[in-house]
Amino acid sequence: MLVHIDGPWSPLLGRLALSEIPYNNPILVGTFVFAALLAVILVGLVTYLGLWRTIWRDWLTSVDHKKIGIMYILIGLVMLFRGFMDAVMMRAQQAMADGPHSAGYMDSPHGYLTPYHFDQIYTAHGTIMILFAATPLLVGIMNILVPLQIGARDMAYPYLNAVSLWLTAAGAALVMASLFIGDFAHAGWFGIVPVMELPYSPGVGVDYWMWAFQLSSIGTTLGGINLLATIVKMRAPGMTWGRLPIFTWASLSANLISLSTFPVLSVALALLALDRYLGTHFYTAGLGGNLMLYNDLFWIWGHPEVYFVILPAFGMISEIIPTFSEKPLFGYLGMVLASLGIAGVSWGVWLHHFFTMAASPAVNAFFSITTMAVGIPTGVKVFNWAFTMFRGRLRFELPMMWASAALFYLLVGGLTGMMNAFTTNDYMVHNSVFVVAHFHMMLLLIVYAIFGGVNYWFPKVFGFRLEQRFGKIFFWLFTAGTAVVFIPMFTLGFMGMTRRLAYVAFPQWRPLLDIEVVGIVIYLLSAVFLVAQLYVSFRDRAQNRAGLDAWETSRSLEWMTHSPVPFYNFAVTPEVHARDERAWRVEHGVDTVRPERYEDIHMPRNTAIPLWLGALSFGLAFGLVWRMWWLTEVCGLAIFALIVIRSFDRDTDYTIPAADIERMERAIRDVPSGRPVVAGVRGAVPAFRQGV
Amino acid sequence: MSVTTSSTLDAKGSPMWSSGHGHDVISTKTLGFWLYMLSDAMMFTALFAAYAVLGHAFNAAGGPWVRAVAHAGVAFQETYWLFGSVLAYGLAMMALKKGNRGGVLLGIAAALVIALGFLAVDGREVLDLFRMGALPERSGFLSAFFTLVFYHGLHVVVGIAWMAVMLVQVASVGLTEKVVYRLLNLRLFWHFQAVMWVFMFTFLYLRGAIV
Amino acid sequence: MLDPRGVISVTQDHYLALDVLIMLLIIVPTGIFIVWAMRHYRRDGGRGRHDARWDHSYALEALVWGIPILTVGVLSYYSVKAIYAVNPYHPTIMARATHAKGPLDIDVISTDWQWVFIYPQQGIATVNRLVIPKGVPVHFRLTSATVVNDFYIPQLVGMIDVMPAMRVRQTLLASRTGTYEGYSANFSGAGFSWMNFETQAVSRSAFRAWVARVQGAPTHLSYTAFDQVAQPTINIHGRVAYFSQVQPGLFRHVVAQTAAGKTYPTPMAMTENMTRYLKAQARRDAHNRD
Ligand code: HEM
Ligand SMILES: [Cu+2]
Repeated sequence: MLVHIDGPWSPLLGRLALSEIPYNNPILVGTFVFAALLAVILVGLVTYLGLWRTIWRDWLTSVDHKKIGIMYILIGLVMLFRGFMDAVMMRAQQAMADGPHSAGYMDSPHGYLTPYHFDQIYTAHGTIMILFAATPLLVGIMNILVPLQIGARDMAYPYLNAVSLWLTAAGAALVMASLFIGDFAHAGWFGIVPVMELPYSPGVGVDYWMWAFQLSSIGTTLGGINLLATIVKMRAPGMTWGRLPIFTWASLSANLISLSTFPVLSVALALLALDRYLGTHFYTAGLGGNLMLYNDLFWIWGHPEVYFVILPAFGMISEIIPTFSEKPLFGYLGMVLASLGIAGVSWGVWLHHFFTMAASPAVNAFFSITTMAVGIPTGVKVFNWAFTMFRGRLRFELPMMWASAALFYLLVGGLTGMMNAFTTNDYMVHNSVFVVAHFHMMLLLIVYAIFGGVNYWFPKVFGFRLEQRFGKIFFWLFTAGTAVVFIPMFTLGFMGMTRRLAYVAFPQWRPLLDIEVVGIVIYLLSAVFLVAQLYVSFRDRAQNRAGLDAWETSRSLEWMTHSPVPFYNFAVTPEVHARDERAWRVEHGVDTVRPERYEDIHMPRNTAIPLWLGALSFGLAFGLVWRMWWLTEVCGLAIFALIVIRSFDRDTDYTIPAADIERMERAIRDVPSGRPVVAGVRGAVPAFRQGV
Repeated sequence: MSVTTSSTLDAKGSPMWSSGHGHDVISTKTLGFWLYMLSDAMMFTALFAAYAVLGHAFNAAGGPWVRAVAHAGVAFQETYWLFGSVLAYGLAMMALKKGNRGGVLLGIAAALVIALGFLAVDGREVLDLFRMGALPERSGFLSAFFTLVFYHGLHVVVGIAWMAVMLVQVASVGLTEKVVYRLLNLRLFWHFQAVMWVFMFTFLYLRGAIV
Repeated sequence: MLDPRGVISVTQDHYLALDVLIMLLIIVPTGIFIVWAMRHYRRDGGRGRHDARWDHSYALEALVWGIPILTVGVLSYYSVKAIYAVNPYHPTIMARATHAKGPLDIDVISTDWQWVFIYPQQGIATVNRLVIPKGVPVHFRLTSATVVNDFYIPQLVGMIDVMPAMRVRQTLLASRTGTYEGYSANFSGAGFSWMNFETQAVSRSAFRAWVARVQGAPTHLSYTAFDQVAQPTINIHGRVAYFSQVQPGLFRHVVAQTAAGKTYPTPMAMTENMTRYLKAQARRDAHNRD
């Protein structure tokens, strides 16, 4: 049954011992000091400002979809930073560890990182960027926008929404914990079997990776269920399928993917866990295991996952371009079909991630064709965006700059994607840095869309626009950094450089690797301007206050309520008449018409249970990683007990009387500017902040 | 810019703002649970796929194969227990329709007890296999086989725990909206286990009799 | 890779160029159109006419769908053709040319983290060095004693997965003599970055001479000697070894015992506590040099 592992084990601490704390590694100690300082400063600041109560009552225990969305985005940004630092370290190592005569520092044969340390870094980088940066950022944005775009008060299941958030947070926390306690996996973000099996990964790294992935997978599946049910059930009257905003369509397509594929990921990881804990033989090379089973299960999720993250990005681009072109999206129906088409086809292409496994030509041919077929709906999207700009009146404000630049990434990413899909090309570039550059083009497209989206919807959520001058410098520097990093990377891929090299054997690649470092420096520089942009925006927020419609030419429903959005979203749910309701009302001159009568609003009460569930899941996973069985058992039982206890709670909702709504609406109108407002809570008269 | 208040749009008289709110709680919750069951079905599908991949004689690595571990006779017995439990739960749901609280309690209690019977048979069968040396860590085939058996068993355990909770809730709270949608979701969950069992029976046990 | 020296890699490059060309045919005009639209229709200073209602046109939408479908159709056709042309088991391009000299068979076994090449016809074996005659088709059988690697010689042939307990094939033909770098492309653990093997394509007579030299090497590759070679080794100094005799059936033996559950576990010292391991190795190396 339980696999025996060599090495010390104690009932209390499991495999954990003092030697697992990397106090002798200067890099990790430095990171720890930095993180600890940051934490002390933050805690001090919060205490000084007396914000603990607010943080607990208005945030940690909140079930408001906007706040949950903001918290998702915060997690995503923190993890984005961590992932970026990983990238800096990798680039530095490859530039240093080049050729047999390159120097080695800190006990490493070349460069400054031992191979095992380097391997952990790229694994953490990929895992973090895809699961704990891109996914939470996009889930956060969907969380904020979808209910607003369809005129709902909240998600279909606000409580479940909070549970999803805290599960994701627990996963992210687990990844962070691995920095300072033990180590992380070394087998790449997608995991390589049988490298991940016990004989080849005897440490706890793979366990950390596996449980962090698992928590985020469960959280995202539940979130997907929630968004789907919200879109199906919570639409305002008149919001027919044909009038659904395009971003909501994109979210729907994306979450069809998450609902259908994340469970497969969960199984892939669970079977790995069985192999590592109970000694089963799912993915082992011997005794009847089949390592291709892992690759199949993983990529049946993995490929759709890349579309899960890109569809919302496409959705944002589809919202931004029409606003700044001052005309409707070209080919709405085509766009919807393309989104659903991408979601559908994404299911049938997974094998292109292992074209090189010597499958029969017929199999490779089939998957080559299906993979290329994904290019069809993707191409349609590019053309439709181009025709949306055609005959428009284009304003290149910041969101539009990010969105339209994203189109060019799609062109490059599409070109290189089609090159990979062409199987015989893939024989040459698979596992080379060319593929790495390809998917970074695609992922940068997502980053661009996210920056565009953040700039675009920021005033809706926080009530003021972001500053544009520093923002534009940031944009241009970021773009320059991208070019300087990735053009050499494509070239190196053509020169045959493979990925994941802790040591580069051929000195002739050195110049290009050095150029990539220059690009990284440009990226670092650009970050300074991002911080400047945020700082100046916050400082001058009073001048940049936004009305209902921050951009004056916005089109969809979310621009019809206040900025920032009050906690009940719409005082009275609007009746929808057209695809672009806001634009339609402006056109008919009725955009300023206010409801004459208010009604009671039914809202869910805040609760701390999701937070506890997240914390307990962290404990459960941590216990599993270190094989501290008591911790796992206690946390598991507590989770079960909490779920049962919650089901006996009858006091989960409350009602805001119509008179109070009217009072709050008047208050918002009468004080157009003034107090600094954070996070859409303006108008929340204290009496209605529901504590636990 | 003049600001007016109005609830209708003059030209067509069509409403500007919706009156009242009309999201049906029970149907929304049920939809969510359906979606959840779909995701669970995906997990089962993935496990069945794993079993299909690891189901060859080669994957038994010289250890016991299908014939030795999949006993259609025992599985047939288990079918009776599980379907009996589902039937009892169905009777509880008929009582629910009539608003008969006692009937609901009785039906669920019966379903619970019969489900325990299923677990007993299932558990004994597994222990027998273990005793004869067919352990999950013996081969890839047995890993996949037992994982499916245990995954289904786990669902039955969860179903039993859920029924116990519902017994308490129906008894103490009565048939409120919340209790009712939970009962309906549990019905879906329980029927789903029966459906999954049909697949288990066909692909695991019948195959054992045929191969 | 862009300087191909083998029949297979030349074909691959040929199709690569075709693929890129067709894609550029679509992407360049699209890019130009977008840039033009961005300039022509900008509000400040653009000359385009704004039409706030124009949001669809059947003709254009047919085009919008038609162009990608057509492109993908054409590309699919060539892709399938190419797949058969360089199929590692029976490359059709190589079937066309009949070669006077029969194919050379080489069995490849990857270990943690070295390459073992067995020449069954010559009865010799090498570690981390591949020598092949120019102009003769080489048929590889590949397997791994531990984890998955990718066999890759960019200038000669594309990647193929080398998997434990399984056997795959690869075929290549070097059309010019020279020294080419080969390496593993699929991450396989701590020693992965040092899994290089130099590939020398030499004339046929030079190959014969080389074989004769190796046949004089003092060491033999028995099953037990293989076990030693297969112990986890980070080949930091690019060491090469030669064996004048190979115990028959070694390749099949490795496949069978891997399938029966044999592993060569990575010691903890090569993962978590690598620093200590590397220090020890450096000390050993220094000692050997003295
Ligand atoms: C026209 C559309 C696309 C095509 C035809 C395409 C094709 C491919 C192919 C064939 C591979 C496998 C390459 C290899 O490993 O040898 C690949 C890898 C990858 N693609 Fe794409 N792709 C497309 C779009 C995207 C998008 C939209 C994303 C992400 C948002 C993406 C992200 C990735 C990632 C992450 C990998 C590599 C995973 C890894 O090995 O770590 N691709 N793509
Ligand atoms: Cu893919």
